[in-house]
Amino acid sequence: MSPHHDARLPLAFIPPGEEVRLAGLGDEIDALQREQLTAYGLAENRPLRVLQQKPMTVILAEEVELALEHSVARHIWVVR
Amino acid sequence: MNTSTAPAILLVGHPNVGKSVLFHRLTGAYVNVSNYPGTTVEVTQAPARFDASATLLDTPGVLALPSRSDDERATMRALLNETSRCLVQVGDAKNLRRTLTLTALLAELGVPMVLALNMHDEAMARGVTVDIPALAEELAIPVLATVATGGEGMGELTSSIARAAVPDPLLHYDPLLEEEITLLAAAIATHAPHPSLAARGLAILFLGNDTEVDSWLRQHAGPAYAQLDALRRAASQRAEEDLPGLLARQRTEAADALATSVSQRAVRSSPLLAQRIGQAVVHPLWGIPILLGVLYAVYLFVGVFGATTLVGLLEEDLFDGILNPAVTDFVTTQIGNNGLSDLLVGQYGLWTMGMTYALALILPIVSTFFIAFGILEDSGYMPRLSVIANRIFARMGLNGRAVLPMVLGLGCVTMATLTTRILHSPRERLITIFLLALAIPCSAQLGVVLGMLGGVSFSALLVWALAMVGVLFLSGFLAARLVPGRRIPLVTELPPMRLPIAGNVLKKTTGRLKWYLIEVIPLFLIGTFLMYLLDRLGILPAIIEAGEPLVSGWLGLPKEASAAFVMGFLRRDFGATGLFMLADALSPVQAIVGMITITLFVPCFASLLMMIKERGLKTGLAMLAIIVPFAFLVGGLCNLVLTALW
Repeated sequence: MSPHHDARLPLAFIPPGEEVRLAGLGDEIDALQREQLTAYGLAENRPLRVLQQKPMTVILAEEVELALEHSVARHIWVVR
Repeated sequence: MNTSTAPAILLVGHPNVGKSVLFHRLTGAYVNVSNYPGTTVEVTQAPARFDASATLLDTPGVLALPSRSDDERATMRALLNETSRCLVQVGDAKNLRRTLTLTALLAELGVPMVLALNMHDEAMARGVTVDIPALAEELAIPVLATVATGGEGMGELTSSIARAAVPDPLLHYDPLLEEEITLLAAAIATHAPHPSLAARGLAILFLGNDTEVDSWLRQHAGPAYAQLDALRRAASQRAEEDLPGLLARQRTEAADALATSVSQRAVRSSPLLAQRIGQAVVHPLWGIPILLGVLYAVYLFVGVFGATTLVGLLEEDLFDGILNPAVTDFVTTQIGNNGLSDLLVGQYGLWTMGMTYALALILPIVSTFFIAFGILEDSGYMPRLSVIANRIFARMGLNGRAVLPMVLGLGCVTMATLTTRILHSPRERLITIFLLALAIPCSAQLGVVLGMLGGVSFSALLVWALAMVGVLFLSGFLAARLVPGRRIPLVTELPPMRLPIAGNVLKKTTGRLKWYLIEVIPLFLIGTFLMYLLDRLGILPAIIEAGEPLVSGWLGLPKEASAAFVMGFLRRDFGATGLFMLADALSPVQAIVGMITITLFVPCFASLLMMIKERGLKTGLAMLAIIVPFAFLVGGLCNLVLTALW
């Protein structure tokens, strides 16, 4: 794995309160749901703030608050 | 479909950005408005207040185009089938990037546009400022700030509609994609030109696999459709990645760039109070106590105030004490004691049974429920409830989004069946409709159950509730394993928490009550009339005799309870009320068994029709064929267990 990839972390592992940037959406996420996430504003390089991780991952993307199941958040790659 | 011939003004935009409030401001017509996405499920039209010749269309919110969901397809059909005078894109001022991502596609349609940046007040509170003149110049269309709930910017909006202009494109796709788009647009312009939409816009949507555009082109291009499809397949093969995703990404990047150049965001040191509350209600620690508090408040309002205080005032004091004796006296004085007076004021009288049930027993319960539901909807709590409930719903093959129709089902199952359209897959809709039809009692029925079992004992009520929850989870668990397809994980937007506006809650409650009463009163009257006829013709005693082995033998109820099940075929609450009338003759076990069976028993006639409308005749009848024997099976088993234990 390249150093670039080493820096990428799954969104589900980021503690609440941290701000990260979106690095990519994993292929494991269903194509339709990937489109849906992009439409919500989850595009590469956009900043995201993690609000909480339990019972679901809740993030703030611009001013859109989104709740995501961990099964989805595990395949969303972010960089600090 | 717009029934007038004049070109229409279409309101389009993301879900929950205030299109329906704006529609109300511009037309005076009321569309159901809520603080969660997906409230508008169909296109609504009304004449504009500001121009008698203009018709406005409110479209369901689109998360993105090309269309993927039912809501998006309905909006796309409106764009394809209506002759558009102009599009008014309603956007969320505080989420400019997202708004402009949709603008990037709408701008390609070649229709005059206006961009209304709504919820400007919320944007300001969050420190978001937009350089509106600069944005208007970039897009070459009128852009304005509005606060639809407060009526701000409405005058400017109506004058902007007159100045609507075809926007400049927001982006040029990369050269290879541009080549494919140009080629396809030329073919569309030749073989299937659209009367108002630009061929380039249709080409982009077709390349993005929009099913509505696909059907439209298939229908209008005739044999040349094969050529269009071949161009799309060739473009897909040449793209190194998923073509719809590639197009969407380039639009997003262009929207990002434009949003960055025309907006600023002040750094806030702490979140707003509404954001803090929003986070607290889904907090792993605080979320559950808050939920229990909300449920208790709803119980106090609906269960105690509605089902006890108001029902007591209306049924006992007004109807039994004043109205019914007066009406009975009047009728018997005027027409004497005969068949007709029996039909009006007898045991199965249209007034003494039908209207008394509908107005004195049911109306106060559903009114208080719809008020409580409206407040929860407008506060933004409902989508957060879906986060809390997600884990439980996952075990039923669903995700937390299904909590919305389930909770609404506690008000009216028929209305809730229609609301299952907010669910994303046919599998989720099928399971939810089945569970609604089987195990979710509507507020009217719930009121009767509370009234009857509450009178027996708290433990009787608890046994009934546990049986319902058990059946709900068991049947959901089985349905999740038997219905083919996979579960879709929950991804949901959490709209800002807002203080509900009393006027909106009341309008919504009035609209729902009107809908409910139009449905319920005729059915109650028809049901009462049928009961009267069956009784007069001597059929009711025959049915009671015929049902005896099942009703008395298996369920352990008095044979007269058969009449309640006959009534239950029309409405479950009507059937439950029938059992309620027998309450004095029932033991605690009989009361519990009767209420469990009637709650699980057939969904009311109106919701059966809605099930058939939404899922087809075959599925509707199949559900019925499962539910009726299942209700008697569970009722009988409860009878065996409770008789042994009680």
